[in-house]
Amino acid sequence: MIATLFLLAFMQIKVPDAAQFVGAPQGTPLTGPQLERRTMEISSELRCPVCQGLAIGDSPSIMAANMKAQVRELLERGYTEAQILSYFEKSYGQFVLLKPKFQGVNALVWILPILALAGGFLLVVTKAKKLETAPVKSAAPNEPVDEPTDDLYLARVREMVDKQ
Amino acid sequence: MTPILGRFIILASVLVATTGAFIAYAAGAKRSPEGLRWSQRFAYAFAALMIAATGVMEYALITHDFSVQYVAHVGSTQVPLWVTIVSLWSSLEGSILFWGFILGIYIAVTTWINRNDHQEYMPYAIGTWLSCGAFFSFLIAGPANPFLTVANPPLDGPGPNPLLQNHLLMIIHPPMLYLGYVGMTIPFGFAIAALLRGRLGQSFLRPLRASLLLPWVFLTIAIMLGGWWAYEVLGWGGYWAWDPVENASLLPWLTATAALHSAIVMERRGVLKGWTVTLIQASFLLTILGTFMTRSGVFNSVHSFTQSSIGPTILIFLAAVLLFSVALLSFRIDSLEAEGQLDSAVSREGMFLVNNLFFVVLTFTVLIGTCFPLVVEAVKGKQMSVGRPYFDAMVVPIGTALLFLLGVGPALPWGRASRKEMQRALLPPFITGAVVLVIGYVLGVRNPWTLITLLFGGYAAHVTLAQMWLPLRQRMKRGDSFGPALIDTQLRRGRRRFGGYVVHAGAVIVFVAIAVSSTMRTQQEVTLTRGQSTTFAGYTVTFTGTEERAEPNRQSTIAHFNISKDGKPVTTMEPRMNQYATMREPIGTPAVHSTITRDYYISIMNLQGDQAGVLIINMPMVGWIWFAVLMMGVGGLIALIPMRRRTYVVVPERAPEIDSEVVA
Repeated sequence: MIATLFLLAFMQIKVPDAAQFVGAPQGTPLTGPQLERRTMEISSELRCPVCQGLAIGDSPSIMAANMKAQVRELLERGYTEAQILSYFEKSYGQFVLLKPKFQGVNALVWILPILALAGGFLLVVTKAKKLETAPVKSAAPNEPVDEPTDDLYLARVREMVDKQ
Repeated sequence: MTPILGRFIILASVLVATTGAFIAYAAGAKRSPEGLRWSQRFAYAFAALMIAATGVMEYALITHDFSVQYVAHVGSTQVPLWVTIVSLWSSLEGSILFWGFILGIYIAVTTWINRNDHQEYMPYAIGTWLSCGAFFSFLIAGPANPFLTVANPPLDGPGPNPLLQNHLLMIIHPPMLYLGYVGMTIPFGFAIAALLRGRLGQSFLRPLRASLLLPWVFLTIAIMLGGWWAYEVLGWGGYWAWDPVENASLLPWLTATAALHSAIVMERRGVLKGWTVTLIQASFLLTILGTFMTRSGVFNSVHSFTQSSIGPTILIFLAAVLLFSVALLSFRIDSLEAEGQLDSAVSREGMFLVNNLFFVVLTFTVLIGTCFPLVVEAVKGKQMSVGRPYFDAMVVPIGTALLFLLGVGPALPWGRASRKEMQRALLPPFITGAVVLVIGYVLGVRNPWTLITLLFGGYAAHVTLAQMWLPLRQRMKRGDSFGPALIDTQLRRGRRRFGGYVVHAGAVIVFVAIAVSSTMRTQQEVTLTRGQSTTFAGYTVTFTGTEERAEPNRQSTIAHFNISKDGKPVTTMEPRMNQYATMREPIGTPAVHSTITRDYYISIMNLQGDQAGVLIINMPMVGWIWFAVLMMGVGGLIALIPMRRRTYVVVPERAPEIDSEVVA
């Protein structure tokens, strides 16, 4: 599979025209520091196909350097971030996108944590309500004590009181 | 001879751990003091065998006994002695043996410290530890046996993975990580004991908390060292890539941090016992999951150095522990539940609940993000990636919320807060936060998340310092004069509290430093010919040439750069490319020039004749991260130091063990 990717990368260097994949550029051509900044940003969202899960912006490999050069070139020609990402996705598959799209099964990776947060929030609220109205079984210390269990003797006394 | 001795010791340890576990559980069920003493002896014996086995392996490594398979794999007569010694944890089999070594020491020390205490819980705890010990001995004896022999011993070996030889941090990072990971077994054993006993008494909270805090400290330091190593060695100028192995170390840290917080509520209010126990179990399970992630070769990672067949065995163990823990929890959690109550949700304990929620959601998010590609590939057969941009998008908001809580939580009083109290507590720190925000803006910070981090960071710093200062102020009000004596008593009496706030202060700095260093970083890639210079971020970098250096295990090409500012020389930087005999691609070592405000980082991309392609990165505040995480570790240690037992207690030191009384 890595060999195929190498081949693909090789072919793309030969076929630099992104137009047949994503159409005409839809943004404004970039130059100077802005070009560098955007190249860096987009490079951090693309996965280097021959590395161990590194972004092309982070990888020292030759392939990553080539891909980064491609990103820079596409930005210079006025392609937008969405177009560039979709160009690489069409070439390498969604594998290359480090930020999964909100689409199909992949949407779950975005939805699940938010569901967990919402569910957890409900749980905390109900738990807090329940605890607020719970009958007092033991005398909870109201005054903050510096070190409640420091004193073994005190802890034992407290434990005996608890049990009664 | 050596391998046979090693194998014999390991087989003995399987036997000792299994027998000891049975005896201990039986002693727990029968409440037999004699049984407890025997299980203690078995715990010490297990530790002794593990230490002996590790000693045998180190002996084989140092004497270059290539008839031992592990030594033939990772040993080499060409590498320095320190590399030979640390080779113990440079590959799978040795690292599992090292795991057993640390587990043995943890078990023996904890058993010894509590030899006369907590007799109600100790048998079950020892039983649980020895069960884990039995599993790891079994791993060493079978699937990951380092003492297998080689029929035709080679004259020399290849030496350990070059990436591990590349930096001295590799001596301390893995042991720290193991001390953190393996140490989670101890609170797990205590938690299981509490569940089996169906009770968690006040006096047992102390060993439970301490046993959790110690591995937490190690894990905290280990995570930082791992990041620092990546920064110093991997050459891309980052310290955290949300790589599966990095995530594996973070996951148990997150749940353990949550557990340390919920344990405080448990101690104060008598509530959340079942929850704390659940978090402790989760931390242990996540260390096993992390081991699976690192060792199975299923995940792609820059940190993963071994691929092996022990994956399925660990997975079975993980499943068994998970089932056992969940079953035990569902049967017994009610017996631990609420003895106390909350007065109001808007209080410090209420904030603890929200803190726990965020930590758990963070754990869940990191877990989902790490495992999701595997699940998709297994189910749909399609490859996809979840990387840094995803984690940044998800984790930054939750992290920022945690920083907010770090400020607000300690400012709120326990119990119930009146409106006036809340205003008094919450408003003044807000002014500090706003000042920090403005300073950041003036210095050029524009990223909205970084600005929010500065606001919350300033807020939290104010609250944390005020809380550190509070007890001193109270005492001075009572008439004590300010002086070393006062501070001394303060530190001794309120050590736990003080330690906790040192951790918080460190955490605030970490938050701010991460936000600033990642959003304010600038970089430039240039190709320089010998003698040529470039100016970037205030420094002029001149490439003065290269030098070849032959070392026994590697060939290094060192590039020399003169760094100057306004014509005045500042320093020289020497990034290098190392070519190891065993590796095709050369490995770079970047050069870092650290100052208080920023790091200047040069990494070689390629070297050809007189030309050097370099990546120059300017990262503000990055050094603060290492320092502040170290501060968190120190805070944890301060909180761990046991209090001196008060001398005016009139009961004899060995008061009758109330713990072991039958609960009516």
